[in-house]
Amino acid sequence: MRLVLNSEACNACRMCELACSFHHQRVFAPHGASVKVSSDFKEGKIQLAIDSTCDLCPKEPQPLCVQYCMTGALKKEGSNERA
Amino acid sequence: MSAPKRGGLAGKILRVDLGSGKISTEDTWKYARNYLGGRTLNSHILLKEMDPETKFSDPENMLIFGVGCLVGTLAPGACRVSIDTKSPFSNGKGSANFGGHFGPELKYAGFDHIVITGKSKEPVYLWIHDGEAEIRNATSLWGKTTGDTETLLWQELGDERIQVSSIGPAGERGVRGSVVFSNPGKAAGGSGVGFVMGSKKLKAVAVRGHGSVRLADPRRFMAAVNQALAKVQASPYSEGWRKGIIEGKFLPQSPAWNFFASPRNGQDEYWPLEKRARLVGLESGVPRYKKRMMACFGCPVGCLPYSEIGEGKYQGTKGVGYWINSATYSTKLDLDDPEVSLRYHLMLNELGLDGDMCSTSLAWAFECFEKGLLSKKDCDGLELFWGDGEAILAMQKKLAYREGIGDFLADGVKESARKLGKGSDSFATHIKGQDSVDPYRADKGWGFGVSISPVGGRHLRGAVSVPEVTGPKGLAWAPTSYENIPEAVFWQSQAKEIEDMAGFCIFVGTWSGAHALEVSDYAELISSALGIDLTEEKLMKIGRRGVNLEKAFNTLHAGFDRKDDYPPRRYMEEPVRSGPHAGARCDREKWDEMLDRFYELNKWDRETGWPTEKGLKELGLGGIAKKLKKAGRLK
Repeated sequence: MRLVLNSEACNACRMCELACSFHHQRVFAPHGASVKVSSDFKEGKIQLAIDSTCDLCPKEPQPLCVQYCMTGALKKEGSNERA
Repeated sequence: MSAPKRGGLAGKILRVDLGSGKISTEDTWKYARNYLGGRTLNSHILLKEMDPETKFSDPENMLIFGVGCLVGTLAPGACRVSIDTKSPFSNGKGSANFGGHFGPELKYAGFDHIVITGKSKEPVYLWIHDGEAEIRNATSLWGKTTGDTETLLWQELGDERIQVSSIGPAGERGVRGSVVFSNPGKAAGGSGVGFVMGSKKLKAVAVRGHGSVRLADPRRFMAAVNQALAKVQASPYSEGWRKGIIEGKFLPQSPAWNFFASPRNGQDEYWPLEKRARLVGLESGVPRYKKRMMACFGCPVGCLPYSEIGEGKYQGTKGVGYWINSATYSTKLDLDDPEVSLRYHLMLNELGLDGDMCSTSLAWAFECFEKGLLSKKDCDGLELFWGDGEAILAMQKKLAYREGIGDFLADGVKESARKLGKGSDSFATHIKGQDSVDPYRADKGWGFGVSISPVGGRHLRGAVSVPEVTGPKGLAWAPTSYENIPEAVFWQSQAKEIEDMAGFCIFVGTWSGAHALEVSDYAELISSALGIDLTEEKLMKIGRRGVNLEKAFNTLHAGFDRKDDYPPRRYMEEPVRSGPHAGARCDREKWDEMLDRFYELNKWDRETGWPTEKGLKELGLGGIAKKLKKAGRLK
C-alpha cells in the first residue's frame, strides 16, 4: 500500500495533519505530523507532502489521514500490505 | 487520589500592554470552568476589568483575542477566534469573530487568549511563537494591505507557515467599520475591532507554534469526534454551504432570495430575477470565476471559494471571499455586475474594511444622492447612481482611506446622518449605532434576532430564519409569522454563545438545523477534551451566562435599554414594495410583544430591558449584579 497525494483536490482543511499527529502522539500537533499541507491562500496554492516518518498507520483499517480526508486529496493505493 | 486529567486548552493567557511594553501570562484554567473560552471568557475579562467610563479610543480599552476551547483539535469545524472590545460605534460590547487557521496556531504556540491594552507610539506588530511574545516595529508594514502584510511578515520572519491577522489601511486611518483580517478570506467584521487595533498602532499579530493540544480523555473524545463528523457529513446543508452557499442555496430561482435581499439601502426586500441571474447565475455570475474551494482549519465542510478574474478590466482580482457576502453587499447597492461584486468583496479584505458597514454607509450616500441631499460636488465629482460599479469601487476606496466624502462617511451611518441632517436619519439603517446591512421585514426571526443583537445590527447572535435550517428542534415557527420567534431567538442566542466559546462555525451547527451538530454534541466534545463534566443543560446555562455578560456590559457601559432593541426606523415605517412579501414591515405592537416575551425568557426587566438581580444570581453572576446595582441599573 502507498499513499497517493492530489494537491489539486486538497482544500487545506488540515484534518489529515490533526489525524496523523494523533496517530503518532495521541495529541493534536500538526508540527509532528508526517503529512504536511502548505498553502498560500492569496494565490490559491496548496501543496501536500508526506515525509519519511509516515508508517501508514499499521494498526488502523486505513491510514488516518485518508480516513479523515474530506476531499479525496489523500487516497491509499494497492493492497493493505504496508511497504 | 490524583487530580482529574485536563486538556483542550493551551493553558495560558497572554497579556500585552502596548503602552509600557510589559508582557505577562496567566493561567487560563482559573476562568475556564465558568466561561470555557472564546467569546464568553473574553466577555468576562472585559466586564471584570474595564472601567465603564473608559471610552473606545482610550488606551485602557482592551482588545481581546479569544480562541474557542476546542480549537486545534479534530472537533469538526472548531477553528474560530472571537475578538472582543469596547465598540467604537457605541461604547457598548464590541465583538467579532473569524475562522481560518490563526486560532489553532495560537494554541500550538501556547496561548488561548491575548489581552491587549495600552497604545504604542509607533506602529508595531506582535510576534508570538512557542510560548514567547515580542512587540516588534511595524513601520515598514504601515499602509500595506492585509495580503501584503502577510507576505512581508512571512519574509521578515522566514516562515510561510506563520499565521497572521492584521488590519488594513482602513483600520490604520480610523474608519470605525474596520476589520481584523486573517486568511483564507476571513474577517472579524463587526464592532470596529480593526479600528481599536489601529488606535493601538498594532498592525498585526503573527503566530507560529510547534506545540500540541492534549486531551483529557483521548478515546472518548475521538468517539465523539467520529459521531460528530458523521452528522456533519450526512447533513444536506453541508453540501449547500460547501458550494459557497450560492451554488447550494442561492441560485437565481431559489425561494431563499425572498428573505435575503435589502436592495437600494433597504428601500425594498425584493430583487428581480434578471438581476439575480446576472450576479449569481452559474454561467454568467460570480460562480464562473471559481478556481477551487478552500477551507478553514479542521473543517469538514470547506465553504470558501477561491476566485480569480482572468481578463478584462478587473484582471488580476483574486482571493478567497465568501460569495454570499458578495451578494449581500451587492444587493444593498443594487449592483448586479459579478466582476465588480467580486472585486468589491476582495478589496474589502485587502483594505480591512467591514462589508456590512461599507455597504450600508455607501448605500445611505447613494440614497442621499438619489434624493438630492448630496450633490456631485459633495461626492468629490462622483455621481452615485445605484449599481454603478465604478462609483461603488471609487467610494469604497475613499472610505477606506478617509478621503473626501469617504472621511465624511467613516464614522458610520448614524453619525453621517447626524452631520448631514435634512431628514437623512430616516433611512440611516443602524442599530445601537452600528450600520446594519441585513433585511428585517419579510423574515421576522431574522429581523428580531438582528435587532436584539448586543453588538448592534448583526445576525450572528440570535437571528433565525427558516426552521429547517436554523434554531431549536421541536419548536414551530415560520419566517413570516411573529409566533414563537422570541423563543427561537432566545434558544439561538444561547446556542451561538456556546459555538463561540468552543470555536465552532455556525455552518456545522445551529445553521444546519437538526441535521448536524447539536448542543449535546458540543457537551460531549468539550467534556472529553477538557475534562469538565458537562451535560447539555449545564452547557446551556454557561451559554446563558455569556448572553448575560454581554447584556450587563451594554447596560453598564453604553446605557442601552429597551429602546435600543428595535429595528431601524425605515423598517417599521416603510413596507416592502414588491415581490411575494410586498407590504411586510416590522409592526411596532408585535415588536413590543416579542420584546416582552424575550425579556421574560431571559429574566430581564420588561420595562427597561436591564438584567435582574434574580436572573444574574441564578447564573452565578452575583458580582455583576452588585456592579449594576451600584450604578443604578439593575432590576
